[in-house]
Amino acid sequence: MRSPRLVLGVGLIWAFLILFLVYPLGRIFYDAVTDEAGRWTLANFHEFFTDRFYLRSLWHSMILGVATVIASSVLGITVAFLLVRYDFVGRSLFSYLTMIPIISPPLVGVLGFTFILGRAGTVNVLLMDLFDLLRPVNFLYGIHGVVLVETLHLFPMITLNVVDALGKVDPSLEEAAESVGARGWSKLWRVTLPLTTPGYVAGALLVFIWTFSDFATPLVLGVQDLLAPQAYLNIVQFVDRRIFRMGIVISALMVLLAVLFLLAARHYVAIKDYSSLSYSRVARRRLTAGRQALVVAFLSLLLLLSFIPYIGVTLASVGKGWALTPLPVAYTLQYYERVIVETPKYILNSFLYSGLAVVVCVLVGVPIAWLLARSTVPGRGALDAVNTLILAVPGTALGIAYIRAFHFDLPGFDRGLTSFWIVMPLVLAVRRLPYTVRGSFASLLLVHRSLEEAAGSVGASGPRTFRDVTLPLIWKGILVGGLFSFMTSLQEASAVLFLALGGWESITNGIFAFYIAGSANEAAALGVILIVVAAISVAVINRMAGTRMGGVFG
Amino acid sequence: MIVTIQGVVKRFGAVTAVDAVDLTVADGELFTLLGPSGCGKTTLLRLLAGFYQPDGGTIRFGDRVVNGLAPYERRIGMVFQNYALWPHMTVAENIGYGLRLRRLPREEVAQRLQEGLRKVNLTGFEARYPGQLSGGQQQRVALARALVLNPDILLLDEPLSNLDAKIRIQVRAEIRRLQRELAITTIYVTHDQEEALSLSDRVAVMRDGRVLQVGPPRDLYERPRTRFVADFVGTNNLVPGEVESRAAEGADMVVRTALGPLRAIANGAVSARCVLAVRPENVALGPAATGEGNRVAGRVSLVSYLGSTVRYDVETEAGLVLKADIRDAWHHDPLPVGRPVTLSFPSSVTLAVADDA
Repeated sequence: MRSPRLVLGVGLIWAFLILFLVYPLGRIFYDAVTDEAGRWTLANFHEFFTDRFYLRSLWHSMILGVATVIASSVLGITVAFLLVRYDFVGRSLFSYLTMIPIISPPLVGVLGFTFILGRAGTVNVLLMDLFDLLRPVNFLYGIHGVVLVETLHLFPMITLNVVDALGKVDPSLEEAAESVGARGWSKLWRVTLPLTTPGYVAGALLVFIWTFSDFATPLVLGVQDLLAPQAYLNIVQFVDRRIFRMGIVISALMVLLAVLFLLAARHYVAIKDYSSLSYSRVARRRLTAGRQALVVAFLSLLLLLSFIPYIGVTLASVGKGWALTPLPVAYTLQYYERVIVETPKYILNSFLYSGLAVVVCVLVGVPIAWLLARSTVPGRGALDAVNTLILAVPGTALGIAYIRAFHFDLPGFDRGLTSFWIVMPLVLAVRRLPYTVRGSFASLLLVHRSLEEAAGSVGASGPRTFRDVTLPLIWKGILVGGLFSFMTSLQEASAVLFLALGGWESITNGIFAFYIAGSANEAAALGVILIVVAAISVAVINRMAGTRMGGVFG
Repeated sequence: MIVTIQGVVKRFGAVTAVDAVDLTVADGELFTLLGPSGCGKTTLLRLLAGFYQPDGGTIRFGDRVVNGLAPYERRIGMVFQNYALWPHMTVAENIGYGLRLRRLPREEVAQRLQEGLRKVNLTGFEARYPGQLSGGQQQRVALARALVLNPDILLLDEPLSNLDAKIRIQVRAEIRRLQRELAITTIYVTHDQEEALSLSDRVAVMRDGRVLQVGPPRDLYERPRTRFVADFVGTNNLVPGEVESRAAEGADMVVRTALGPLRAIANGAVSARCVLAVRPENVALGPAATGEGNRVAGRVSLVSYLGSTVRYDVETEAGLVLKADIRDAWHHDPLPVGRPVTLSFPSSVTLAVADDA
């Protein structure tokens, strides 16, 4: 039954994954346990674990991750329950708006916050004018600010997963709880919430890893004693080889920790698979007018906070002379002109790299999904594990791994892969591969095998069946996964910030560069462009896939 | 086309799903594989379809050995339990897909499509999508899709199990009519013994990957050869016992049971330990000492009114419960629970069969 073509295909997929994922990660682990001369040593880790600054960074990173998970869980679960279980004025509008913060590009979000809540931001200017405060209120600068920004950015991740999990809970389970006398909080606490844990844990893990590996947000907010910023700062100074190596050690440690959390979460979820495919849903409860007002007020406030970056970035992108005033004093399109007409390379590069990344994602990801869903080839478990591993690997670490792994001269060239721009779409493709695999895999699961067998029974061969039956039924899933990969590739900041060389900067590189150079307005203009593209993508995805985006993250 | 199955084995890991099965299906016959879930009947059907390849033995369609052939090389038509209609194709596209794959001329495709639709009474439904059809209509499209290709063998995998009771009987009759008209060799899988009896020329009862008994429906019902078949097909009173006086097959013999010595007819290979099987409709129920043949006394423990019959559960002195049917329910005044009664059944309807439980 094993055709040579199948063997070749599986071989190519593994070759891709080993070359562009396993090898680079292996390389930083190798570096972490050897010295300059290549001798095996634990001195690097010894140095890390005896250095009080590094230990404090590790401790702070953990606290930051846990605090963000708790805060986004409280918000995310509350919102999910309100949206799924209750009916109130504007419910479907809120349902759509709640998903918006998640598409905020990482850097853009924090920049927007600084425009509104920063030391010289709108709110502080107003407060100082109104109450004669002598010093601005510090909303943002410090760990608390990082928690605030990350929470308002990431709580929809929890909402999406819990909404998805709630949809899979068989209503009869709750009815059974009611029949034995559980009501209100006790039903919620003992039955409903535990049933949603598998979906919730998946979301919480992503929130944790995202926060844990984000270096840009803390740096903008002036927080350096965290692992990810330390890795970044140690790597981008190319002067001291000793410090550079410590950056690699920190990256290796981050990968290790992320994988440990992933394994723990997988173990927890694997023993608790409660999803049952049910066609009925728990009916939404209509709230009384008073409670509706409360719910609407809560959601409006939450969304107002979440939309702060959008307001801030949009104002900054068209505002002139915005300093020490609540709002800009004059408006202009000159920043857009600069980033679109004068230096179009950011936008062109981003679209080129992300487009190529999606092509690679589809070429590699759809076959992986097919192997996982349909074939019996050995090593499917490993394939699935590697695909999930990608979700856990911090982008920072992957970027650093690529620098380390691909700087050797390619055969026939006097430069390494890191000096060819193709490395940018490659790293993006690897980072976003899981979305395409999951999107296609979920669609394949919906296509019952007997549909393909029926085609076989009337005379269609394997490839013919795939073309005439399977593909027409799954192309939407592939497209949704691909579009999601495209959108998130445009927003990728961590890995590409390390790899971009002069001339290949993407939009996120541009935002970072402009911001560091003090031209926040151009950074904001680029940010608005990213947001618009993302909003359009999400609208299309929403139309095509309904609100069941949760599956892509789960 | 004759289907010959010789020593076919299929294993999944440590489980032997089909265990050395030998069967021959005659040309134009409707042959049913009957058994509880997990008995291997669907696996055997999928081996015939080519979705699985056997681990041992040979399968022949006519003189052609089909081992190793892909489904699309076997000239089969298959109807799936869940219909498996392609949701993105219309009724016409679903039925015509196989014809188009064969690169037939356009007029012939159109003509055979119309013929197929007419056969299943769906003319006029060409442009509908499967989602716009009822369950019964969907199943008829699936049937038409299999039949338009004029397959050598028609394979049906529990085709009625997703239908409502009334529609099921209707589609069942339709399948039987079409099969007779086309005289196509058909293999039908079901776990519903009533469906198997009403539809089939012959039935094979399967358990644990093996065929226990093959025969026409009437044989299976009236002459089960083992306890499992007696129990699975229809309802039977089963009384374990030991053979007292041995006799040749078909002859009267005496079996010692908890109910006392009973006269029975040996059916199949009966060893010292055996089971007596008596259908409730063959058990007469009287006040006392009436009726002929075997007699057992007891008390009424449950009365179930079933419309056309009344079924009595009678608890004997030995504690065993026997069932007896009163067929003329219309003119019958039910007996109260606790009333002493005598059950009687002639030796000609008391079968001694092998105990394979």
